[in-house]
Amino acid sequence: MKGFFSIAGLRRLRVMTWKELLQLLRDTALMVFFLYSFTGDIYVAASGVSMQLRNAALAVLDNDRSFASRELAGRFQPPYFKHAGEAASPDASLKLLDRGDAMAVLDIPPRFEERLTRGEQVPVQLQVDTTNSVLGFLASSYAAQIVGRYAGEVAMLREGLAGSGGPMIEAETRIWYNPNQYDPWFMGISELLTVVTLFSILLPAAAMVREKERGTIEQLMVTPLTPFQILFPKVIAMTLAIVAGTAIALFGVLGPVFDLPMRGSLPAFFLITALYVFTTAGLGLLAATVSRNLAQVGMLTIVILMPMLLLSGAWTPLEAMPPWMRLAAGFSPLHYYLDSAYGILLKGAGMDLLWDSVLAMGALGVTIFGVGMAWFNRQFG
Amino acid sequence: MTTETAIRVDGFTKRYGKRLAADGLTLEVKRGEIYGLVGADGAGKSSLMKAIAGVLSFDGGTVEVFGTRIDSARAAEQVKQRIGFLPQGLGLNLYPDLSIDENIDFFGRLRLVPADVLAERKRVLLGMTRLDAFRNRPMRQLSGGMKQKLGLVCTLIHEPDLVILDEPTTGVDPVSRRDFWAILGRLLEEKGVTALVSTAYLDEADRFHRVSLFHEGKVMGEGTPAELVAVVPGTLALFRAEPQADALPRLKARFPQTEAMGTWLRVFAEGLDATAARAEIDACLDQPAHPVGRTSVRHSLSDAPTCRTEVRPTEAPPIRLTDWFAREPELEDVFVAMLRQRGAKLESVFPEDGLTPHTSSAPAIEARELTRVFGDFRAADAVSFRVPQGEIFGLLGANGAGKTTVIKMLTGILKPSSGFGMVAGADMRTAGWAIKERIGYMSQAFSLYHDLSVVENIRLYAGIYGLDDKAARVRTDWVIGMAGLAGFENDAAGRLPMGLRQRLALGCALVHQPQVLFLDEPTSGVDPIGRRVFWDILFHLSRREGVAILVTTHYMGEAEHCDHLALMFAGKVVADASPEQMKQAVTAEAGQLLELRVDRPAPAQAALVAAGFASAVLHGRAVHLLSKTADADLARLPGVLDAAGVQLQSVQPRPLSMEDVFVHQVSALEAAQRGTP
Repeated sequence: MKGFFSIAGLRRLRVMTWKELLQLLRDTALMVFFLYSFTGDIYVAASGVSMQLRNAALAVLDNDRSFASRELAGRFQPPYFKHAGEAASPDASLKLLDRGDAMAVLDIPPRFEERLTRGEQVPVQLQVDTTNSVLGFLASSYAAQIVGRYAGEVAMLREGLAGSGGPMIEAETRIWYNPNQYDPWFMGISELLTVVTLFSILLPAAAMVREKERGTIEQLMVTPLTPFQILFPKVIAMTLAIVAGTAIALFGVLGPVFDLPMRGSLPAFFLITALYVFTTAGLGLLAATVSRNLAQVGMLTIVILMPMLLLSGAWTPLEAMPPWMRLAAGFSPLHYYLDSAYGILLKGAGMDLLWDSVLAMGALGVTIFGVGMAWFNRQFG
Repeated sequence: MTTETAIRVDGFTKRYGKRLAADGLTLEVKRGEIYGLVGADGAGKSSLMKAIAGVLSFDGGTVEVFGTRIDSARAAEQVKQRIGFLPQGLGLNLYPDLSIDENIDFFGRLRLVPADVLAERKRVLLGMTRLDAFRNRPMRQLSGGMKQKLGLVCTLIHEPDLVILDEPTTGVDPVSRRDFWAILGRLLEEKGVTALVSTAYLDEADRFHRVSLFHEGKVMGEGTPAELVAVVPGTLALFRAEPQADALPRLKARFPQTEAMGTWLRVFAEGLDATAARAEIDACLDQPAHPVGRTSVRHSLSDAPTCRTEVRPTEAPPIRLTDWFAREPELEDVFVAMLRQRGAKLESVFPEDGLTPHTSSAPAIEARELTRVFGDFRAADAVSFRVPQGEIFGLLGANGAGKTTVIKMLTGILKPSSGFGMVAGADMRTAGWAIKERIGYMSQAFSLYHDLSVVENIRLYAGIYGLDDKAARVRTDWVIGMAGLAGFENDAAGRLPMGLRQRLALGCALVHQPQVLFLDEPTSGVDPIGRRVFWDILFHLSRREGVAILVTTHYMGEAEHCDHLALMFAGKVVADASPEQMKQAVTAEAGQLLELRVDRPAPAQAALVAAGFASAVLHGRAVHLLSKTADADLARLPGVLDAAGVQLQSVQPRPLSMEDVFVHQVSALEAAQRGTP
C-alpha cells in the first residue's frame, strides 16, 4: 500500500489503468467476442431459450375413434401442444417416442365414449418423453389438467349442470414482477449475469497472463510499483469495461427489444455490478497466478465458471439443492449478485432489502483479492 | 563429386502478407559443403530453409534440390527422404517427455530405418555427441546444448544427403556452441553430407566453407569467408586514446565504423592500408605527425570528410594515442560497411539533457557474498564484485551459471539467501524501495507492450516512475531523439524492427534517469548496425552521464565492449578482470592461438590431437590450436601433418577472441568439476 495516497501513487494507478484499457481496446479478437457476448448472445438467449412448454409434439393412439376421443385429443392445443399425427399401434407410438418425433403419446382405450356415457371410470394413458425433465414435467401436468377439465365437463354434462356451474374451486393466481411470465426477462438477465461473470474472470486473468507470457511482469517488478499497484489497475480497467458492456446490454438489447422494466435504481444496479466484477476479478487473478499461458487461463476460467453458475441459483433454486451445496452457494458471489440484480431490475428492490447481499459480496471480494495478492507476492516476491 | 550441385536457388521470393521476407534470393550449394546463411532475425534465412526442406510454399523463383525442382508437395516428397531438417528453436522438434533413446528411436522408425541399423547408428552418434551417459533422461531435463546435439542426432539418424539446420547455435552458450560445431564438422566429414546452416552470429561465418550474407530479405554477398572479407578492403585499427570520450566523436566524424571497446578504440579504416590508417587517425586526434611511409591508398573514398579540414575549438585538450595495433578486418566490419554503402546509418544522435552526470566515489553496485539457494541448488554462491559509477561491467557465463539470479537479486526481484549488496548507494536489505527508483532494467525480451505505441510505452514508464506531466514530456522527447524513433512515435511497438524495439526498451528503462542500468542479454536478435548503435548509446551513457551499466551477454564479441568482466561458473565468480587481462591470462596459461590451413582438415585435427595438441579443433576449413611454445611447435607441425598425409598450407597466429577465452576457462572448469565429482 506504500505510496498509494501520494501524488505519484495516484499517477501510477492512473497510467496503469489507462494502459490496461488501451490494451483491451486494441485486442480486436477479444473486443469482438466481448461486444458479441453483451449484445448478440444476450439477444439469442432472451429470444430463443424458454423454460415454457411450446409446441410439444403429441401423437394420438386412438383406439376408440369416437366423438369423445376426438374431442379429448382436440383439446391439446397450441401454443403448448401441436399434433404430430396418429400412431397406428402401440409399437408405432413407442417408435415415435424413441425417435423423438413425438414428445408425448396420448393412448385412448377402446370403448372410451361408451364407457364415459355409462358413467364408468375410463383411464387414458399418456406416455411422455422426459429426457428434458422440466419440459416432461410440464407436458404431463398440462395434459393432466386438460384431461381433468374435460372429465369435469363430461361429468357435469351427465349431471345436467352444464353452463350453470357446479361446486368448484377456482384458484386465482396473481403473478408478480413478471406478470406475463415473459421468459426473455428472466433468461436475458440470467444470460447477462453469466456473461458478466465470464468476463470478470477472463479479462483480468488474460491481462495478467499476457504480462507473464511477454515477460513485462518482470519489468514491472523492478519498477517502484507495489503488487497492489500492478494488480488493482487491471481490476479497475476491467470493471469499467464490463460495466460499460452491461449498460450496452441493458440499454441496447434488453430494454428496447424485450421491454425489460428496470424498476429499481439503475445507479445502484451498476454499483453492485462493479462490486461484483471486483469480487470475481480476484478469482481471475488467482487463476492467472497459477497459469502459464492464455490457454490455461481459458481452461481455468471454465473450471471456475461452471460451479459458480450451478451454485448461484440461476439454473435451479437453492432450496432444491442438498444442504452442503446450499452452504457452498453462500460462497459464490454470483448468488448474491443474482439476488440483487433480479431484485433491482424486476422487483424494484432498494438497498434497504439488498444490503446483506451487498455486504456479503464485498466481504468475499476483499478476501479473494487479498488471497490473489498474497499468491502474486509469493510468486514474484 | 564435389563439383556437383546440391541446392540451386534462383530468384527466391516469399511474402507474408505485405511483408517481403525474401526478395529474389539466388545461391548455389555444392555437394559436401558446409554452407552458411548468415544474417539477423527476419533477414529471410528461415523462409528459404523451409522452402528448401519442402515445408513452405513461396511466391516466386525456383528451388532445386539434388536436381529435383521443388514446385509441388509431390516434388518435395521425392527429396524429403534425402533431407534432414532441424527447425529453429531449442529442441522444438523433439518430444520433451520422451528420453534421449526414445526420441531417437521415434525419428528412426518414422524414417523406416531397420532396427539393427538404427541401433548401430544410434550407438555411434550418441558416442560422438557424448550423450550416451544420459540415454534415459527425458529431453526436457537436458541443457540447451544437449538438446541441440540430440536434435542433430535425430536429424541425422536416417543418414540424409543434405542436412538443413536453422540457427542451431542460437541460445546455446559458447562452450556448447563450439562443441556443436566440432561434432557437426566431424559428422559431415565422415559421412560426406552437405549442410545448409544458418546463424545470427557473424563471427561464426568462418566455420563455413561458403557463406551468403543476408540482410532484409536480400543476399548482400556470397563466397568463402576470406572472399567476403576482401570485398571491402581496409584496416582494422585497435588502440587506446586518452581522453577516450573526446577521441570518439572526432574519429567517428571521419570513420563512421568507430567503436569503443572498454578502454580501447576500434576503428575500421575503410580503403586504407595500415600506414595510411595510422596517419589519418593521428590527424584526427591532432597527434604530432607520425612518420608516414606511403601516401594514403583510397578506394572510392575521395569524397569522404577528412579530419584536416574540420574546424575544432583550439582549446580542445590534446589526445594521447597509445598501444597501436593494425590488422585485417573481420567479417562484421565488412558487413557493416556493405550496409553503410547501401544507406544504413550508424550515427546515433545523443540529445543533451542538460543534467549533471552521476558522480559518486562510492561504487554504483557492490555485491558482497550474494548467495541464493533453491533447494539443494546454489544458483548463486558467494558472489562478490564492485562496479564503479560510469563503468560498463559485463557478467558472462553459460546458461544456468547464475547470471540472471544475480541480476534478480540486485534489482530486488529475488531475495538473497545470504549476503547483501549496495546498489546506487542504497542497501538492498533495508532500502529496496530506494533502489527501485534509482535503477533501470531491460530484459532479454525487451519487455515492451507490443500493442501500445512508442509514445504510449514511454509515457507509461514515465508515469510508473512517478514523473509529472511536464517531466514526462521532456523525457519522452529525449528518448525519441536518443533511440532514433522520430517518425515512429505512433507506431505500435510490436511492429518496429528489432533494433528500434531494443532502443525503445532501453529508452523506457532510462526514462527516470537511473544511476545504474541492468541489461540482461540486451542484443539478441538485433542486426550488426543495430548492435553498434546500441553500444554507442551505452558508451555515451557511461562516459558522459556517469551511468553504471551491468550487462550480461552470450555474445562474446560484445564482452569486448565492457570495461570489466566477471565470469560466472556454477554460481560462482571464477574470474574478475578487464577483457585484456583475461586474454593475457589465457595466453600465459595456454599459449598463442594458431590457425592452420590444410587440404584435409578432419584428419589433420585427428592427427594433431593424437600428437599431443589437445586443443586442436576444426574451425571451418581451418584447424585452430593453442600453442605455448610457438617456435618449437611451428617446427614440429609440418612433420606431424605429413605423417598423417595432410598438406599444411599455412600457419598464422590469430588474436584470441573473448570467445576463445570463455571457452578455455569454462572447459577447464568443467573438466575440473568432472574430475572431482
